[in-house]
Amino acid sequence: MAGNTTKYAIIGIIIIIIIAIGAYYATQKPAQTTTTPTTTSSPSPTTTSSPSPTTTTAPPKTVELTGDFNKDIIAVGKALEANGISEVKFTVWAAGDPNSVMRIYGIYEAAHRINKIWADNGINVKITVNKYWISDFNQLYQEYLSKQPLGQAGDFFVDSYVFIGSLAKEGYILDITPWVNKYWDSVFSDFYKPLWQGMKVGDKYYGIPQDTEARPLYIRKDVAKCIGWDLSNVADLVKEGKFTWKDVYEKAKEAVSKGCSEWGLIHRKGSAHPDLIQFIYAFGGKLYDPEKDKLVLDVPAVYKWLYVEWKFAQDGLLPKDIMSWDWAKQIHPTIVEGKTLFDIGGTWYWTEWQTKDYYTDPNTGEKRGLKPEEVKEWFYYTLFPAGEEGLKPVTLSQPFAWMINSRAGEQNPKYDELKDLYHKLAFLIVVKASDPDINAIHSVISAHVPVRKKATELLYDKDWINKLVNLQLDLAPEVKDNIKDIVATTVNEINVEFLANVSYMLDYTHMAPNHPKYPALADIFAETVDQVLRGQMTPEEAVQHIISRIQADPELSQAVEIVGEIPGGWQFP
Amino acid sequence: MMQLWDVEVKSRKIEIVLILAVFLASLPLILNYGLLILSSFSTEMVTNLDPTSFRPTIDNWILLFEGRLSVTGGVREDVVRYTINTAIVALGVAGVVVLVSVMAGYAMSRMNFKGRSLIMQMILLLHAFPGVALIIAVYLIFRATLPSDIELARIYSFAYVIVARAALEIPMSIWLIKGFFDRVPWEVEWAAIIDGASRLRVWREVMLPMVKPGIAAIAIFAFLAGWEDLIYVRTFLFDRTLATYIESNINVEFAYMPLLAAAGTLYLLPTILFFILTQRLLLETSTGGIKG
Repeated sequence: MAGNTTKYAIIGIIIIIIIAIGAYYATQKPAQTTTTPTTTSSPSPTTTSSPSPTTTTAPPKTVELTGDFNKDIIAVGKALEANGISEVKFTVWAAGDPNSVMRIYGIYEAAHRINKIWADNGINVKITVNKYWISDFNQLYQEYLSKQPLGQAGDFFVDSYVFIGSLAKEGYILDITPWVNKYWDSVFSDFYKPLWQGMKVGDKYYGIPQDTEARPLYIRKDVAKCIGWDLSNVADLVKEGKFTWKDVYEKAKEAVSKGCSEWGLIHRKGSAHPDLIQFIYAFGGKLYDPEKDKLVLDVPAVYKWLYVEWKFAQDGLLPKDIMSWDWAKQIHPTIVEGKTLFDIGGTWYWTEWQTKDYYTDPNTGEKRGLKPEEVKEWFYYTLFPAGEEGLKPVTLSQPFAWMINSRAGEQNPKYDELKDLYHKLAFLIVVKASDPDINAIHSVISAHVPVRKKATELLYDKDWINKLVNLQLDLAPEVKDNIKDIVATTVNEINVEFLANVSYMLDYTHMAPNHPKYPALADIFAETVDQVLRGQMTPEEAVQHIISRIQADPELSQAVEIVGEIPGGWQFP
Repeated sequence: MMQLWDVEVKSRKIEIVLILAVFLASLPLILNYGLLILSSFSTEMVTNLDPTSFRPTIDNWILLFEGRLSVTGGVREDVVRYTINTAIVALGVAGVVVLVSVMAGYAMSRMNFKGRSLIMQMILLLHAFPGVALIIAVYLIFRATLPSDIELARIYSFAYVIVARAALEIPMSIWLIKGFFDRVPWEVEWAAIIDGASRLRVWREVMLPMVKPGIAAIAIFAFLAGWEDLIYVRTFLFDRTLATYIESNINVEFAYMPLLAAAGTLYLLPTILFFILTQRLLLETSTGGIKG
């Protein structure tokens, strides 16, 4: 018996040693180099075969970016050609709703335009692009995390800005600060300034805004009419902070009690980020302290948020189980069929309601999308109202960003020698993909808000819109082919007018903190909101629950500063 | 009057009760699969058991094979390629599992060598490790051994996922096939050896034909394990399979569920077909016998 035990022990030890040796060697593989772009030329002593018939000097391994796009892209093209490169392959990884195809085809279009510039200048180099698309942006991030160290992630990563912090920290995306600075005057100064805040880690840029959105409070005009509520100046009252969440509650209660709607309020579900944290900002709270680089649990604001949720649910104005409602079968049909007065949604709902069959036509009994005229006739929109008088209305944006893999171009020849050149080419492709018309097309067909003013201006240009409707714009055939059915369904005066009208909301926008521990805090919020709505916790208990959950996680408790106390005597409504 | 009870004859009433119990136990499963298949032919999901939700169409299947994720818009996907990738992984896992298991199972059953009993116990222990528990170590080995050439790395990722996934199936398969070898009478093997056949020839020409049902069973189980795998495929494979395709598109608010129901049905087809075609074989395996 003892002999057997010894035998097992020895075998166990051997196995552990083998695993340890394996793990040691696995982790000893040369670490991923974090690439910081060089701003100086890097002459390489390496002698490579030069195809150039006119010179015997070594071909340039890099070029200096000047901020003049045409000059830079021609210089890059010539340098690649001189190094014997005739084709450059890139892969773009993107995520999102089915209408956001320009996150992929923006890169295709940029490559197409650059190829044309090169061809016009006699440069025999061509960019080809491959794509990888996942609907779920969180999952795309997970996949990027696992595949990037293996050299198998996309060269361009188009995903939410919330991942910039962690990816930059790991060295998985390029620090593009010097190049952004070079192109600041010629291109990036035109972008809406608040968006850059999400693209930075410290004082370094790791992304370029691709799109953004606002999250309006939608109000059903027909339900409002039923309770005799004149909406004509509500948006202004909200802007001035005179129409607050107390008013929302009163109107919601009136709508339900008069039988004008089944519910007073419907809101989004699942993750409490980024949607419901608008309440924190609306109650004057904050979620992040940039000076300490710490997340903040603003107890008074969080308490008020949870109290409002609890009150709405307890009074039957908001479904208690909304956090587990089905998007297509419950949430959207309830809104488009006028069973609620208010809805906390997003700008993209405007076209989503037109392209998805959420509405059951009472005449035919058939499910169908709304007509643009119906959306305009039925829905009023405002900012997310202030929590209380004296505070400001808010909205929330979660911009998507173009990020460049720190191994961009690795699938191409002579990568080690020409890495800097490939990285700069990738950056210039993103610059091109940010062209106003490419950004405006994306905005119009996906109901996102443009990231730059010149793109917004195009939304007011009827001639340009007509050309887009008829697909008479000069676009790559592949791009035209992939957007034509979306254009046919979504591009019309009503939708364009809507986008132009909500652009002002960006002036009121907030963002979820770009902090690596924020997702953990947001998950606690989501779980707590669900329990509060279901009546399993009072708002006071819920706040205590959040605090104990934070304190139970050593890393999270280090990252979160708990400020303030539950306000005594605070009443809602 | 005395009634004669035969052990082979059950009361009709008990039989009906048993059938009913089995039916009720299976009902949720049958219902779920049924509703999934029905939804794939409807413009709306019929999972809420509301018959009015069923609005027949074959558009979901057309969209699926066009590689579309929604009626309007969407980046086109190569679903046929994903199906082929899934089949490559599943067939690869089945091949490796069968090859290793029939050799190891024979050795464990018929050869007497030092440590045989210990190895058998250790193999069983290996089966107790869930794949997830091993994944970090398996990932580190993958990372350390991955070729730097991009194309080679893609091929390697297929080979790696096949071997890694097969490794999880092999322990149980060895035990299973060993049971089949154990049931083959020694006399049959001796007779062949006396007739001058080598051990390898005996294994190949005498033993293997006699354990065919066992081989088929482990092949089927391994194929299904490879076909259904999500975690290993998602971690190691650079290309997509049907499992990762469905998973990456289902958990979003704008997912067009009837289309994903079609993808799910397509994904289920081999499993259903395999079970229908091999039902008898699997029953033989579960009762542990072979035909003499």
